[in-house]
Amino acid sequence: MTITSSKRVGALALAAIFVVGACTSSASPTPAEGTQAPAGEVSGSITVSGSSTVEPISTGVAELFKETNPEFKWDITGPGTGDGFKRFCAGETDVSDASRKIKDEEKAACEDAGIDWVELKIAYDGITVLTNPANDAISCLSFPDLYALIGPESTGFTKWSDAAAIATELGSSTVLPAADLSITGPGEESGTYDTFVELALAKIAESRGKEAVTRPDYQASPNDNVIIEGIAGSPTSLGWVGFAFAEESKDSIKELAVAKEANGTCVAPSAETISDGSYPLSRALYIYVNKAKAMENPALAAWVDFYLAPGTIEQVLKDVPYVNLPAGELDATRAAWEAVK
Amino acid sequence: MSVSAVTTSSVQRSLRSGGRDWAGFVFEIVLLLSLLFALVTLFVLLADVLAKGLPVFAERGLDFLTSPLSSRPSQAGVAQGIIGTLIMAVLVPLFAFPVGVLTAVYLEEYAPDNRLTRLITVNIRNLAGVPSVVYGLLGLAVFVAAFAALGFGNGRNILAGALTLAVLVLPLVIITASEAIRAVPSTIREAGFGIGASHWQVVRTLILPSAAPGILTGMVLALSRALGETAPLILAGAVMGSFSTGGSLGEILTGPYTVLPIIVYDWARKPQADFRELTSAAIIVLLAVTLFANAIAILLRNRYVREW
Repeated sequence: MTITSSKRVGALALAAIFVVGACTSSASPTPAEGTQAPAGEVSGSITVSGSSTVEPISTGVAELFKETNPEFKWDITGPGTGDGFKRFCAGETDVSDASRKIKDEEKAACEDAGIDWVELKIAYDGITVLTNPANDAISCLSFPDLYALIGPESTGFTKWSDAAAIATELGSSTVLPAADLSITGPGEESGTYDTFVELALAKIAESRGKEAVTRPDYQASPNDNVIIEGIAGSPTSLGWVGFAFAEESKDSIKELAVAKEANGTCVAPSAETISDGSYPLSRALYIYVNKAKAMENPALAAWVDFYLAPGTIEQVLKDVPYVNLPAGELDATRAAWEAVK
Repeated sequence: MSVSAVTTSSVQRSLRSGGRDWAGFVFEIVLLLSLLFALVTLFVLLADVLAKGLPVFAERGLDFLTSPLSSRPSQAGVAQGIIGTLIMAVLVPLFAFPVGVLTAVYLEEYAPDNRLTRLITVNIRNLAGVPSVVYGLLGLAVFVAAFAALGFGNGRNILAGALTLAVLVLPLVIITASEAIRAVPSTIREAGFGIGASHWQVVRTLILPSAAPGILTGMVLALSRALGETAPLILAGAVMGSFSTGGSLGEILTGPYTVLPIIVYDWARKPQADFRELTSAAIIVLLAVTLFANAIAILLRNRYVREW
């Protein structure tokens, strides 16, 4: 009795595995009707790794591409820009997603491995400085203010007003309240950390003879949603995350405007101010393509063609909250890619 | 010595006093509170996950279970994760179970009781406490590298992941199997030898069948642990992102793979708010799949339960 019943369960388990397996193969998006263009028969696979910020864009492009090329296959991961370049320069991947430019030591690694690449700018992302909606005292911070609050010299500051001396010294007249200062942000391994330090802190740190880093005593998290929760959970908090994350949680946090110079023009983050470059904390997103692999893998070349084709990125960015390149810059990217082909 | 003296006197005192046993009463309350604490935590977690995740099933239905990964929350599904986790549930016991049980039989039945054996036993117990991410590093350095060297693409396939998880749960399997074997009444063993059975016959026909329920309980625990692990598989090459392969068994075994905990981890850090609900829905699927795998193991165990 018991023997038969457990045998039956075993058979059920096996059946379940195959049923689910069968379902996935048929569940892939069906090709759009009436797309019988000759270019619609690309088959082959590509391997992409790199920035977790860019991964959704590359995946979105791959999904769109598959609609007209059902045999197209991909493997796109997002461990981080640095890890992506490590695999790219070891020849493991065809394309590296990046939320910053390739570093010199990464260039050297690629060169040692004989890997020649092309850099293609595909979109913009901003970094948003945040506080709690209850924090009425602050609505705009300048780079000198950010340096005074988060820079290397701010270690140990527990109140916003503790930073006033340095901010004043740097020429800022922002009034910093005597409220508790709790800072939450991405950790050092993150591209968002690198970009923030490079854009907001590096110049001032250099002029004051300090290392370009943040203070070590803040709550660091690799998960942007955790940072948002940290900001939302403390009434006079301060932090920074990728623009997309802030935009998705607008009701629980307050986005601060940012000024480049002390007492300069405050610019609030928005798709427009990020793409036209007037928002000071914006960064470009890239894909790096392995030239040799693009030559020998028609699927890879066709995918990059499709990536840069008019309208593709725009279509993907409707679902993925990053910012489109201005038309002229996308043309420049396309020209860079055409030159390689 | 003093223990028996204390017991005797305390028994006498309680017999004479006739009053209420207050210490015993308080102890019982503390026990109940501990149980309640665990249960309440579990219920709060479940309620939270169900409240956020069930609307996804109401809205998407089976589509959520059969769709592949996607960057668009309205289309993303967990099919690849379900397949990955079910394959893990088959492969991990396949690798870990024979090696673990045979090790336990050797240690309990054949190994001489000397310093070396004790050293090995202590080390196995320590290995059970090693953080799982360390096994991930091992998997990356040994299995992924080996598969890459053997020409299986970049080596980041589900076999490398399953071997990593198998090594991770091996100490757990060995410890529970050893304890199950040790718990077999010595009278049974002696009776076997008494009627002239060889050591091999005693182990095969008496000890292993009687220890089977305990060994399989260990397997249930090990399986639950393996199916919930994220960190080692991040290192051993599970895909955080998306992939489109996996149409055939060969592709599943040698191509990119993912499992449900990895999907939960990946979705929890996505910017779009819609992915928050999908994360909860994926947790519900993970719980269901783990329960399903455990139910099979428990049914298997009940087959072997025997009263002595």
